[in-house]
Amino acid sequence: MEAGKSTAHPGWSVLGGIALTFFALGVTVNVLVLDRVGSELKTVVAAIVVNSATSELAYLAVRDAGGSVIAALIAGWVVASRFGLLAASLGGRIRVGAVHRAVAGLQSFDPNVGVAVQQASPRDVIRVFWMVTFAMHAGWWSGTFAGVFLGNVIGDVDRLGLDAVFPALLLAIIGNLLRQRAGMVAGLVGAGLCLVLIPIAPAGLPIIVSLIGAVVALRVAPPTQEGATT
Amino acid sequence: MTWLVIALLAGGVAAQRLAGMFLGGALIARVPVFARLASLIPAAVVGAVIAQLTLGAGSTLVIDERVAGMAAAGFLVWKRAPVVVTIVAAAVVTATLRAVFGA
Repeated sequence: MEAGKSTAHPGWSVLGGIALTFFALGVTVNVLVLDRVGSELKTVVAAIVVNSATSELAYLAVRDAGGSVIAALIAGWVVASRFGLLAASLGGRIRVGAVHRAVAGLQSFDPNVGVAVQQASPRDVIRVFWMVTFAMHAGWWSGTFAGVFLGNVIGDVDRLGLDAVFPALLLAIIGNLLRQRAGMVAGLVGAGLCLVLIPIAPAGLPIIVSLIGAVVALRVAPPTQEGATT
Repeated sequence: MTWLVIALLAGGVAAQRLAGMFLGGALIARVPVFARLASLIPAAVVGAVIAQLTLGAGSTLVIDERVAGMAAAGFLVWKRAPVVVTIVAAAVVTATLRAVFGA
């Protein structure tokens, strides 16, 4: 892990790209969330406090399919499991107090942890982490408010094909995971189990059972040296 | 989505992040397979959510315009296109086919 560590900080173009991507995510996710939740205040508060677009989308997907609140919550929680892993990865590289550590842990996402842990010193790790986090939040917050505004003027989201945006966005989010053999196996097995169970199982259950896909991938795909992914 | 649901969803996500920050290092050191499993869970669960959103209609499976939109999205993700391009393409393909075939 130590070999090849970079001391190069992300440039403005990188930070701008991250901000722009999160702006697009904020707009898209919150247009969809507002369409289903029906309240601007709840949409904005959920975006801020849940702090995980994937979790919100997974919750809404299960509810859309007629699943129970409990099943939807479980789906929302389990898709956030990677954030715990990212926080663990960051935690091993920083030297800060407990409060600072907790706040940083709560802001652990793929891009900020991914860029930060490439830095050489603990001081650079935490500094770059907050630089990228600021860029992400600038994009996400402005995108959230734009999404809430646009959600009120767009009207019928299905007519504009926005129901396809929901799964396309999720696919883009896990795109890097699917490039690895284990990730691809997990995704395909999870999707296959879900499709087999949709006609016969109670709504929501197929999503939870899809967890088996991760276990199958563990058995099928050989472990790599680097272990954790983004 | 009620306020209680928002609180529970937020609490569950935050708890995982805090557990990872304060306990994750020791757990991964003791049980290395945990890290690998946790890294694969999102692919499995999100894969299932994508399948449901693309082919599901209540308790039945249907093939409609969403499949074409997702095929376009899959191609663009494979080609490492920007997120914005991917989601716009999915929407445009789906909406165009709907308009043409009047679904």
